Amino acid sequence: MEMMGIERDRLHMSWVSSAEATKFIDVVTQVTEAVRALGPNTRFVKQQAKVA
Amino acid sequence: MLGYTEKMRGIASRLLKDCSVEMVIGFRKGSMPMMNEPCFVTTIEDVPSLIWDSNCGINLANYLTNRKEKIAVFAKGCDSRNIVNHIIENKIKRDQVHIVGVPCTGMIDKRKIAGMVKGEILEVSETDDTIKVKTADSETLFEKTEVLQQNCTLCIHRNPVIHDEMVADPVEEQTSLDRYADIQKIEEMESEDKWQFFEDLLSPCIRCYACRNACPLCYCPTCFVDESKPQWMGKGQDPIDVRTFHFLRAYHCAGRCTDCGACERACPVGINMRLLTRKLEKDCQEQFGWEAGLSLDQRPALDVYQTNDPGTFIK
Amino acid sequence: MTLVTIDKKDWLKGLTAAAESYRLFGPVKEKDWHQFEELDKGEMPDLNMVNTRLSPKALLFPQSEDMLEYSLDETRDDHHIMKEVRKDYSPRAVVGIRPCDAKATQLIKLNFDAPDIKDPYWLKAYEATTFIGMACDTPLSTCFCTSTGCGPYHEEGLDVLVMEQNDAYLAKILTDKGQVFADASGWATTSDDAATFEAGKKAAEDRIVSKIETDNLADTDLLELHGAPFWDDVAFACINCGTCTFSCPTCWCFDIQDEVNGKSGVRMKNWDSCMFPIFTVHTTGHNPRDTKTQRVRQRFMHKLKYFVDKYHTGIMCVGCGRCVRQCPVNIDIRRVCELMNSFNPTDACASQG
Ligand code: SF4
Ligand code: SF4
Ligand code: SF4
Ligand code: SF4
Ligand code: SF4
Repeated sequence: MEMMGIERDRLHMSWVSSAEATKFIDVVTQVTEAVRALGPNTRFVKQQAKVA
Repeated sequence: MLGYTEKMRGIASRLLKDCSVEMVIGFRKGSMPMMNEPCFVTTIEDVPSLIWDSNCGINLANYLTNRKEKIAVFAKGCDSRNIVNHIIENKIKRDQVHIVGVPCTGMIDKRKIAGMVKGEILEVSETDDTIKVKTADSETLFEKTEVLQQNCTLCIHRNPVIHDEMVADPVEEQTSLDRYADIQKIEEMESEDKWQFFEDLLSPCIRCYACRNACPLCYCPTCFVDESKPQWMGKGQDPIDVRTFHFLRAYHCAGRCTDCGACERACPVGINMRLLTRKLEKDCQEQFGWEAGLSLDQRPALDVYQTNDPGTFIK
Repeated sequence: MTLVTIDKKDWLKGLTAAAESYRLFGPVKEKDWHQFEELDKGEMPDLNMVNTRLSPKALLFPQSEDMLEYSLDETRDDHHIMKEVRKDYSPRAVVGIRPCDAKATQLIKLNFDAPDIKDPYWLKAYEATTFIGMACDTPLSTCFCTSTGCGPYHEEGLDVLVMEQNDAYLAKILTDKGQVFADASGWATTSDDAATFEAGKKAAEDRIVSKIETDNLADTDLLELHGAPFWDDVAFACINCGTCTFSCPTCWCFDIQDEVNGKSGVRMKNWDSCMFPIFTVHTTGHNPRDTKTQRVRQRFMHKLKYFVDKYHTGIMCVGCGRCVRQCPVNIDIRRVCELMNSFNPTDACASQG
């Protein structure tokens, strides 16, 4: 995804067990901060199809 | 590779005569310069139609599956690796195919050659290491190495990795190649430039799916792009849909692609979609030390969990 | 019919004048090939080309085209009502279309402008368009138009046919539509040099080296041909991509899909291809044409037999050679046509013993 031009911080991947409530909060906080810092996504968003 | 044709006909006749196979899959001469047509032969009378030259770039592994016959197939290095994939993925049984290995010195790139001469190409002939191209008013001689398909210039498995017999002695493998210079260049771009790069690359795509269909790896009964209940993606020419098709197709080939180049060769508009599959090939190589289709005894990297699998991308 | 001559120096001026009242389309060079596109102001069609990679059929029949739009927003009065999408059907002209592609438009018209059913999208675009053809003096080795009822100076489907003559163009005005365009372009210097036109035509026809025979197709029994023994061999190499049908100027099949974004949606038509396995899948899941051989046979039977029998206007192919050049595995309609045309059912039965 990054190779195609999706910003590095746009996509995150993590394992969180259902017992790891605090880790879950941390991860969500980090992810939202990182993504917010990038601003709204403009790539890979499809509005109405652009066709003739 | 010039002497191969005669040897192949001999092998095909023998196999058909002693009934060790019912069908031989190879190439016959095409109706245009630099084009050959995959074909099958079931009788000795038809054997003389078989030929071999530097225009046999279509991957014959694509023609083996879902058949009942016992088949003999001519397999270049890359084809043989795709046959290994088929066997590992249970698409075909090892004992249903008689693999006739073809040591390969590369296939020529018809688009590149067309770009290097002026006017319509009317005739192309070859020797072991040169290619002669005739147009209405000129004749040009190329070194074969100048006009190879890009994947063949980067190929490090020209000799079949699996075979029942060989057409000729193995050829020398190419070594010390920098196989991913172009991929590296893209990796080093700024994110925005990467996005734009692929916008440009994919803009001529007409979604004919020749790239998908030429590939032996793409055998799903219904491809995700064709599903309409639900629609996984739009069916029109919206650039986001086109891109979605391309990157998901590439993912489906991860750890399986042999860089045979059939996809790029088949594309009517000359898109180098291999940039996507080769990025994944590079990652498999770097992260798992994995190259597809080399052995029947090892499970593919994305098929097994190993304790040393890299995990730094997981936070 | 009037003949006018246009000095090459005035060509640009004429087209610029025409652009006042027409949207102009024409071949432009893109990367390694030519493509029909809308011309920007002052941009000239590049007439120095061989056949475009894709045919100009997309000008009337875009690969993806919105037909209807609707809203799912129930607070709106018009929710769930399909409405026609507004389009620009103001006059347009295609400059530099080849005679083969123009004739193909007439074959497509048989389908989209049938006595009982009309496709309004295609038809409106068609009616808005004036076709300015460029006679073809440099055919490719794969062009076989002279044996498909067409030819490098064929006039069917054109409003004006232009030929190049040293430093001028000679234009034959064929229809009223063509006359209106000529007036808009200021093409008024009449010429009586019909002989040059005829000579050009003769010379160009002689340059076509590739031919097919189609004389037996109509008389061969349909079911016998359908059951002919060569289909597995013909179809073997095919990978069922859409290259041949997408590049063909006479293929007209399309598929209809809805796409919804939030609460608004469109119904669009997209090119489809009889070579795609899902082309004939029924909602039950049954697929009457579920093998490759059946699909390949369909393509050739449609072009070279069903069409011939249904419309009595020859084959559904104008001999542009695009499918021949672009098929990734070299399935050649000329070879298949020869097999079909020379097929003799009695021989086949005899050989089956
Ligand atoms: S990728 Fe290798 S084996 Fe395959 S055609 Fe090219 S050189 Fe031959
Ligand atoms: S993705 Fe392309 S290069 Fe890779 S195996 Fe498929 S056809 Fe060959
Ligand atoms: S073969 Fe080329 S044009 Fe066709 S779908 Fe693939 S990339 Fe697009
Ligand atoms: S069938 Fe082939 S040659 Fe005939 S009109 Fe279509 S693309 Fe051209
Ligand atoms: S005939 Fe050729 S272009 Fe047409 S679907 Fe088959 S492989 Fe593709």
